[in-house]
Amino acid sequence: MRIVVLIKQVPDPLLPVSELTVSPDGGKILGPENVPPVVNGYDEQAMEAALRIKEFRDGECEIIALSAGDNFVLDVLQRSLVEADDLVLIEDESLDTSDPHHLARVLGAAIQHLGDVELVLGGRQASDWDHGQVPLALAEHLDWPCLTLARAVRVDDTRVEVERVLSDGYQMMKCGLPAVVTVTSELGELRYPTMQMRLQARRRRPVQVSLEDLQVGTDIDPEWRTLGVSMLEKTRDCRFIGPDDGTEAGRQLAAVLLEEGAIVSIQPGGGV
Amino acid sequence: MGTVLVFGETEAGELSTGFWEQVSTGRQLCEQTGWTMDVVVVGCDTGPGERAACRSGATRILVVDDSRLDDPWPEATTEVLADVCDELSPDAIVMPRSLLGAEVSARLAFRLGIGMAMDVMSMERDDDGLVVTRPVFGGAATASIRLSGRPWIIVPRKGAFAAAEPVAAPSAKAVPFASGLDSRTLKTTPLAHQRLTDTGKDLEKARVIVAGGRGMGGAEPFHLLHAIADRLDGAVAASRPPCDTGWVEPMLQVGLTGKTVAPDLYMAVGISGATQHMMGCSSSRVIVAINNDPDAPIFRMASYGVVGDWREVLAGFLEALSDGQAKEIT
Repeated sequence: MRIVVLIKQVPDPLLPVSELTVSPDGGKILGPENVPPVVNGYDEQAMEAALRIKEFRDGECEIIALSAGDNFVLDVLQRSLVEADDLVLIEDESLDTSDPHHLARVLGAAIQHLGDVELVLGGRQASDWDHGQVPLALAEHLDWPCLTLARAVRVDDTRVEVERVLSDGYQMMKCGLPAVVTVTSELGELRYPTMQMRLQARRRRPVQVSLEDLQVGTDIDPEWRTLGVSMLEKTRDCRFIGPDDGTEAGRQLAAVLLEEGAIVSIQPGGGV
Repeated sequence: MGTVLVFGETEAGELSTGFWEQVSTGRQLCEQTGWTMDVVVVGCDTGPGERAACRSGATRILVVDDSRLDDPWPEATTEVLADVCDELSPDAIVMPRSLLGAEVSARLAFRLGIGMAMDVMSMERDDDGLVVTRPVFGGAATASIRLSGRPWIIVPRKGAFAAAEPVAAPSAKAVPFASGLDSRTLKTTPLAHQRLTDTGKDLEKARVIVAGGRGMGGAEPFHLLHAIADRLDGAVAASRPPCDTGWVEPMLQVGLTGKTVAPDLYMAVGISGATQHMMGCSSSRVIVAINNDPDAPIFRMASYGVVGDWREVLAGFLEALSDGQAKEIT
């Protein structure tokens, strides 16, 4: 079974807001130059889901990590070779976009170019644009079924079954293969590779594929355009509750919140 | 004349909590364009939802009441909405910011070959379409996006548009709409819905949330957060580190990798304010930050801040709540 895991390079979401800046063209947000980007957290979970499937199939499974973007930091993306058998990169200026439809068409063409892909796993959304649309658009583009928000993924030769997370629990869903499945953080813990695995991965190289190879144009969707982004210095004016004595500050906080109406009134036995 | 279609998602027959914010968004669009508003109520045993939707002020109210839609089924819901769009040809669609709404929007947008905007905070019409703003990077920045191809698909951000007031008298009668939904042609199948009740209150509905972060230092201190949440009839949540380290259930996570919430009061205890967390809570009406680091970024996004040891601060806070309780009794 051939599984493709979609990965995306994003600025480290654990960075404090103060470290982010707007690019000179005003079109995107950049992390600081001295802090490397990371692979989107959800995509790592998608990779973990792929590894669990591989284990379940006693290794009878090929995992290909696939990324479409621009300004790749190879060191970062190449770490996926610790888990994946291959890494395929499509690097093009037009792919540094938040237009999900262009990305979906390019990824779709790459998946067809690879051939025999039975399952595509991706994160439920990326931590930069937070749009969560690419895997869904990809499935629509390929005319494949799509199951989303999986906290567990099981496959046999013909179908895939997921536990789909809901706000109050989960639901079981299934579909036939080939399919696209998005994975959520409830999947559980990731494995940590040994130093030896890391070193071995470093010796391997990604495969570069161009848009020309894929015969896809560079036009982004005219129906959807990012006009610009701007940073917010702060989103609220913080009123500090003063006393050095923590207990007293806590008491005053309660009083202020009562006055503000954030705590309406305090009833015996709880309740607002 | 153009129309705005508001998608009324239902849960156990009732309209979902964000519906009146969608109506408010729809009314604003109508004001800017001179269009009229339609509503489609979709779900199973939708009676209560239909009656409520009749007070939305919509010109037409369509109902798709189908037992197959009892549990969330994004693919089927997309088919139903695509049918409704064929019939009504709306110029804009206002979708709910729910798991289902977000997914159906993305699928429909690709099918129609148009753009969509998630988490819309503001909208302004210009000659080439609709310019909307939406938060990116955990709300640290905003992006403006122009939607040009119609229908514009808009998912309002939780809390960005004040919930609309229902109109006094029903503005239209709810009319059943026969969608061509044929589950045999669908590619996905829902099997069983398992509701969990042991993970505390539904975070997305809680009016008060007390959240702990890495600064809590372990599982045990979360008992104090529970004590406060219980007193305020609220729920306990966490940022990512306590979930990753197993101090609390992953279901309690708020943030990019967890839930998006917009309560009246969000108390962030020992949370530094990384973008990944703020994405999930920045729409809260009042944000309180308690942190011993005066430079923690959370203070730039909080309404009230206390710099200090959370143990002391929360002890004082709980004491004051208990005093209040004593006063009420006497």
